[in-house]
Amino acid sequence: MIQFSEAQLQEVERIKSRYPEGKHKSALIPVLHIAQETFGGWLSAETMDYVATVLQLEPIEVYEVATFYSMYNLQPVGKFVFEVCQTGPCMLKGSDDIIEYIKQTLGISVGETTADGNFTLKTVECLGACGYAPLMQLGKHYREHLTKESVDALIAECSQLAATGANQ
Amino acid sequence: MYNHILRCQFMGKKLLLEKAHIEGIRYYETYRKEGGYRSVEKALKTMSPDQVTDEVKKSGLRGRGGAGFPAGLKWSFLAKPEGVPRHLVCNADESEPGTFKDRYLMEFLPHLLIEGLIVSSYALGSHDTYIYIRGEYAWIVDILEQAIAEANQNGWLGKNILGTGFDCNIHVQRGAGAYICGEETALIESLEGKRGNPRIKPPFPAVKGVWDRPTVVNNVETLAAVVPIINDGGEEYAKIGVGKSTGTKLLSACGNINKPGVYEIDMTISVEEFIYSDEYCGGIANGKRLKACIPGGSSVPILPANLLLKTAKGETRLMNYESLSDGGFATGSMMGSGGFIVMDEDQCIVRHTLSLARFYRHESCGQCSPCREGTGWMEKILHNIEYGKGKASDIDLLWDIQRKIEGNTICPLGDAAAWPVAAAIRHFRDEFEWHVQNPKTAQLKNFGLAHYADERTVVA
Repeated sequence: MIQFSEAQLQEVERIKSRYPEGKHKSALIPVLHIAQETFGGWLSAETMDYVATVLQLEPIEVYEVATFYSMYNLQPVGKFVFEVCQTGPCMLKGSDDIIEYIKQTLGISVGETTADGNFTLKTVECLGACGYAPLMQLGKHYREHLTKESVDALIAECSQLAATGANQ
Repeated sequence: MYNHILRCQFMGKKLLLEKAHIEGIRYYETYRKEGGYRSVEKALKTMSPDQVTDEVKKSGLRGRGGAGFPAGLKWSFLAKPEGVPRHLVCNADESEPGTFKDRYLMEFLPHLLIEGLIVSSYALGSHDTYIYIRGEYAWIVDILEQAIAEANQNGWLGKNILGTGFDCNIHVQRGAGAYICGEETALIESLEGKRGNPRIKPPFPAVKGVWDRPTVVNNVETLAAVVPIINDGGEEYAKIGVGKSTGTKLLSACGNINKPGVYEIDMTISVEEFIYSDEYCGGIANGKRLKACIPGGSSVPILPANLLLKTAKGETRLMNYESLSDGGFATGSMMGSGGFIVMDEDQCIVRHTLSLARFYRHESCGQCSPCREGTGWMEKILHNIEYGKGKASDIDLLWDIQRKIEGNTICPLGDAAAWPVAAAIRHFRDEFEWHVQNPKTAQLKNFGLAHYADERTVVA
């Protein structure tokens, strides 16, 4: 059985208090973010059902939202998820080459996770940072002006963190 | 010194980013020391809510999210039934490819947005105001929440602000990855905890918005611009710029230029100056030549170099609403969101159009068949053309599909997906034909600059 901590449940209450009485469904998207971060980086059916219970919603209300938004992972992911932007302006600045380089270096295709469970590669659409292209989202932050060298450094940095048991 | 003053006048006035470079401006103390929150004092203590709206009307401020609708007019449509709460929602779901100006504002000048939100909330009677920010801007949520906490601690938010009896709270709502949520009714659905499916209008949000309450949704930059409008007066603001393009506009420049970044312009400079002057984009990178540009975010029509710098009438094209749209869609484009995407001579228009088509297919909410089916169909055809499997008839088929999407969907995403394809075919048809006729060569090299920068015959 999965369970939010006491502090997280308080955070859920704090989020609910932003909306009018009876409109707590508005808390769903923020609470799904917390659930994904807490329960392994993705939303399993068990996690979604738990969120439904916490917010007193029907499970289907949670599923239909979780499947609509691209930031929710519906499959397990690695400890570090490289979400590389591939839309027009990034493409003009060589994002195709960066994606290819990451595929080769990690030995995985887009959407796959490395065998050691450390890395997942995703391509995403416009991250809204076109002037700093090419770039990726890694956890909470963007890594911008990517080059093959900076990708190497990033992989080394994450591998080291993974060895200590950390994730993004 | 005299030269410096002349130069500053020449460069135009900065209203939003004037203080962006000041150390510590992200935090309350510095922001306040630099004159921050004066507009809140002025509005709440000396003006009625309607007077604030009037100033915004006088300023001529147009919505900075892309549509360019007069902000004051939008405010005046807000229904005010007795006993029903109203809400202001700030649209920070910046996702239009090429656009990253709101991020810059929120990251470096969060208090400017908070200040604008307080004054605007006062004008509209919103006691609970929401900032809906795209989920990927996760770290900016912290920056905004810190700024809100600071404003609260210093009496600019909460109950009885400045002893005037006005109560206001600002809440940050984080999205979770969906371009469509930048459309105001999809944003409202998302704020209600649902999928971002746009609503059929009417009813408009001004009558029935979030939780069926009257709602105004405005872009980040629009709401930040309310601060200088109240400080200096709407008439002063309207003096900046030209014609109906009043005030200043933030542009985010990207692509193959020397100096990508966010720039504030007063809408009197030429497109050529914006691209080539060191003050702004600093010219095309690596000594290349300009081939094409999408001047206002990925949805607006792409223009070849020769039509970008000069209108079909041979006049210098300026960076403002009127001049960029001069010639309509036949020979012009749009100011849009100010996402300025520059392409050099090595770029392939087919490949770039394919990338945008994939983007719109990915972002279509799936509600309306013309958009859901049409965006995927266009992507497939463009993929074929780009990868050497295109047929001559594909180009007309693409044209036909985009025509049948445009205007046939609930929200403007359909149009936004159709226009880039239409404009690419309209202006670069020979590049598409070259791909179809030379499938093998097109895998090895690009069409290049061709005639796209050549002087055009002026049409009177």
